[in-house]
Amino acid sequence: MKLGMDAGIVGWGVYIPRKRIKVKEIAELWGFDTGLVSSLRIEEKSVADIDEDSVTMGWYAAKVAIDRGEVNPNEIGAIFFGTESKPYAVKPSATIVGDALGISRRKLSSDLEFACRAGGEGLRISVSLISSKAVKYSLAIGSDTAQANPGDVLELTASSGAAAFLIGPEREAIAVFEGAVTYVTDTPDFWRRDCSRYPSHGEIFTGEPAYFDHIVNSVNILLTDLGLKESDFKYAIFHQPNGKFPLQVGKLLGFPKEKVLPGLVTPMIGNTYNASALIGFARVLEQARAGDRILLVTFGSGAGSDAFSIVVKEGVEQVASRGPTVNELLERKVYVSYSSYAKSRRLIERSIGW
Amino acid sequence: MRSSISIFWRRKDSYYKVLLTRCKRCGRASFFARDVCPYCGSSDVSIVKSSGRGRVVSYTVSYFRTDSNEEYLPLVIALVRLDEGVYVTGELRDVEPAEVREGMEVEAVLRRYSSDDPYGLIYYGLKFIPVIKRC
Repeated sequence: MKLGMDAGIVGWGVYIPRKRIKVKEIAELWGFDTGLVSSLRIEEKSVADIDEDSVTMGWYAAKVAIDRGEVNPNEIGAIFFGTESKPYAVKPSATIVGDALGISRRKLSSDLEFACRAGGEGLRISVSLISSKAVKYSLAIGSDTAQANPGDVLELTASSGAAAFLIGPEREAIAVFEGAVTYVTDTPDFWRRDCSRYPSHGEIFTGEPAYFDHIVNSVNILLTDLGLKESDFKYAIFHQPNGKFPLQVGKLLGFPKEKVLPGLVTPMIGNTYNASALIGFARVLEQARAGDRILLVTFGSGAGSDAFSIVVKEGVEQVASRGPTVNELLERKVYVSYSSYAKSRRLIERSIGW
Repeated sequence: MRSSISIFWRRKDSYYKVLLTRCKRCGRASFFARDVCPYCGSSDVSIVKSSGRGRVVSYTVSYFRTDSNEEYLPLVIALVRLDEGVYVTGELRDVEPAEVREGMEVEAVLRRYSSDDPYGLIYYGLKFIPVIKRC
């Protein structure tokens, strides 16, 4: 769908916890084949500390987004919190972040759930709200402390991180949305049942009929709608469940790896679920120049994909300098052992009062 | 240990933000938010939000155990001089006790304080971490 280019990115922020664990250590502990590990192309993953969760990480990312945009929080009229690891099953995370940041009480406020693409859906809704002039600014957050059953192959990739984008009117934006397409179906590739602590997945089924099919369709529809081709884009960011899928889907769609690698962060921090593609997008914004066209593609199991075409405007470098960059957050790290990781992610818990 | 939900709710602004009292008569700032300036006694004050950034003046490392804090130990408790010139104490995270230095630049971030029990309310509030980027 072609958009009016009247909504854009006013500010953005990212948070990556400083703790990292080497994927090799997890693989050795659980007896995984080293060939499988190297095929995932993930060296290490970020680990949220014991006092961090999707709310605290989302708060930091949103704070930086507001600081970068130099916007009065009281003028933000909507906040959408995309996550599949909300601290409460019932009680919104968006309201905690909103109050903690001093955002207007007269706001739309919701937690969104669609596996890894809820953050992207928040972005899509925010663009619509700005285009329709329903609110002045809207905040879209993707944040997850991704769960994985210890010993499951998912544990090699599931990590923690957050990204937030402050969407506002074109005249204040450093990048504008020129098109967006959402493509969704009922596809049972990954799920977590009510009261279940860890998700289940369909192993290889998560690839072809889920990730690849939905991304290829959303991108092809977008390109057709906008009359664009791969060569019109300087960068392409795809959802990053591992380090190889984004390169494979890029190749399928005709995007060379040189256009995908700048936004590929999963090899360094793992799969941050709702923040995955959004952190990659933030990293690209921090090196983009005016006139660059960026393809951003999210994916969430269940399944669906959003494809966005975004054009960068003047002033992006100045706004980028107002907050920590993704590269600075990637460099801020300390390695922990599996036992420390297990404590931080509450894989082992102390019983109180027994 | 169960906390009071209503007390936390009434005070949440002071847990979520570093709020200072700025006196319009003597011009001095003080921590925390209150109706009267502790320096000159004037009630002509305004409540302002601190940037939450400052430097470590001193610190201590606590190994004291209670029923609800074992998972966070050891605690680094820092005395911080905020950029506004006001002194506050708070927990310092994301740094090993041996790495803490006087003069270290820090910023306030939202973190979990505690939870009543696995099914109870989660209490959030500000702690300090070494500043990620001085902007």
